[in-house]
Amino acid sequence: MSTAPRPDPAQPLPDTRPSRVRFWMVCAGVLALAVPLQLLVDAGLFSDVLNPYYLHVLTIIGMNIILVASLNLLNGYLGEFALGHAGFMAVGAYTAALLATRALPPASALPPVLGTVGILLVTLAGAMAAAALVGYLIGLLTFKTVGDYLAIITLGFNMIIVNAIQNIDFVGGPRGFTGIAKNTNFVAVAVCLVLTIGVLRNLVQSTFGRVWVSIRENAIAAELMGVAVARAKNRAFTIAAAFAGLAGGLWAQNQQFITPRSFDYMKTTEILVMLYLGGMASLSGSILGVVAYTLLMEVLRNLLSAFAPQLAEWRMLISPLILIVIMLTRQTGLLGNREWRWLRPRQGA
Amino acid sequence: MDTIIQQLFNAAQLGAVYALIALGYSMVYGIIRLINFAHGDIFMLGGFIGLLLTTRLGWLPFWVLMPLAMLLTALVGVAVERVAYRRLRNAQRMSVVITTLGVGIFLENLVRLTVGPETRQIPARLPSGPVVWLQQHLGAFVTWDKLWIILISLALMAVLWLVVNRTLIGTAMRAVADNKDAVPLMGVNLNLVIAVTFAIGSALAAAGGIFYGQAYSIDPYMGIDLGWKAFIAAVIGGIGSIEGAVLGSFLLAGVEVVTVAYLSSNLKNGIAFGLLILLLLVWPWGIMGRPTLKKV
Repeated sequence: MSTAPRPDPAQPLPDTRPSRVRFWMVCAGVLALAVPLQLLVDAGLFSDVLNPYYLHVLTIIGMNIILVASLNLLNGYLGEFALGHAGFMAVGAYTAALLATRALPPASALPPVLGTVGILLVTLAGAMAAAALVGYLIGLLTFKTVGDYLAIITLGFNMIIVNAIQNIDFVGGPRGFTGIAKNTNFVAVAVCLVLTIGVLRNLVQSTFGRVWVSIRENAIAAELMGVAVARAKNRAFTIAAAFAGLAGGLWAQNQQFITPRSFDYMKTTEILVMLYLGGMASLSGSILGVVAYTLLMEVLRNLLSAFAPQLAEWRMLISPLILIVIMLTRQTGLLGNREWRWLRPRQGA
Repeated sequence: MDTIIQQLFNAAQLGAVYALIALGYSMVYGIIRLINFAHGDIFMLGGFIGLLLTTRLGWLPFWVLMPLAMLLTALVGVAVERVAYRRLRNAQRMSVVITTLGVGIFLENLVRLTVGPETRQIPARLPSGPVVWLQQHLGAFVTWDKLWIILISLALMAVLWLVVNRTLIGTAMRAVADNKDAVPLMGVNLNLVIAVTFAIGSALAAAGGIFYGQAYSIDPYMGIDLGWKAFIAAVIGGIGSIEGAVLGSFLLAGVEVVTVAYLSSNLKNGIAFGLLILLLLVWPWGIMGRPTLKKV
């Protein structure tokens, strides 16, 4: 039952009040870097150093961190093995795409910056709400199951969601949804990322989040202490799904083209690889895992296409190998259950 | 009437392939409580080994080719267990499950890179003429290869049943399934029993892969889809139970064939997974599975 690494029992339980200052300094730092970076790239200045490709990679990293950190709620803190995260992402992406193209006026008809911000707010809120609703319903249905069966059921829902979208002609069916306006840029992703990490960090350090850890460590003991296990699990599901939906909404409006196939089992596996590479039950691990994995894949892509183009495809073998080697040698991932200082709550006090 | 009989044979053929895969899932789960997510890809690999042997060693008769392919795939299955799973036997369960996911993707991409992503068909080695008797008496058009696939699969399942229930190694396997910790104390070589389980499961999956490649087609990513379907079948029947895996496979194949024939082939996967979720909610341990007790 217990799946995630246990914290060191010798350490005292940390105080629930987070050390806010250091955290907000890091967040402000990220935003302070993101805005000029976006402006410089948009203006085409220093194009040899700041090329749009780097910004694109950073944007992907940002969206993936939101995905991985939200999955960490379920697989790391709650200790379940949920296998359907890309399904929630799909719900968010399609909701945002529908809202942006069918329900809202195009950004050109609105005031320049505020219009885009407004559209983003509405579409992302819609994406989060829709994904949260789906997550809540799936959570209701999966109450009865734990462990292996929960993995199967969540994976089943992922496949059903993808299959359902494929059969709805209104959203393009298997051909995909085209013509979504590019409302997302790196700054938008950075803002969402900072908010997500902030919310998740405070959540898992609150009594609300401690309940999840208690379920992971011993569900029966938690129940005896008065934890409503089913309700707490469903809350985790809903929240994780909402953030996956947020990432999906950003994704749709960044890529401008989505197909049901891009949210299938392979995407879920990719999220899992990054999660386990970084470490379970650690937000720092989620960040590190995504950054390390994405950079490694991009560096390999560039190196191989520069020096050995005939071997370029072989990088597909790297990601499963990383997963296997990590599991064989360091099952807790790179950071396993530890946090960077700026994400840690204040000790003692 | 005639189309119903034809559909019945279609369902039986698909169900036979599902059953050959599902047995491997079920046996491994029964023995070490591990969902081997790479098993669908072992099935795919078996199909490709069959293809390779048929194209390179085509002069060999089918009854030599098929056991050879099964043997080679069994070796791969045992090697994977030895390299990737054995070290994690006493680790947290999810670590092993994640490792199996990794092995699965590795095999898919490896075959894709070495053989290519195209869809292929294994050259037919089974007779493909229609079964005249069925055509004359029932008006149903059924080819001999379909019949052979169903019959050989059933024979393999019968052999498996005999091995598990009537031999020493089968007794050891059932004992390990019952209590993995006590059995080594009785002098049973646990590693050997687990290796044999993986070998049998992989060999059966290879047979399924060859049949599937003859009847339909194979591609490097087919293990995901079919593996999941077979896994669903094993869960529906009650994972860990041999009879359950076979029953679940034919049931799922029946549902699928009916869906394709009377509804839409696009809904196939959705309905298969919907059935799984529905069944798990009302029947959490499958049709033939034994409920596990939660101990405090």
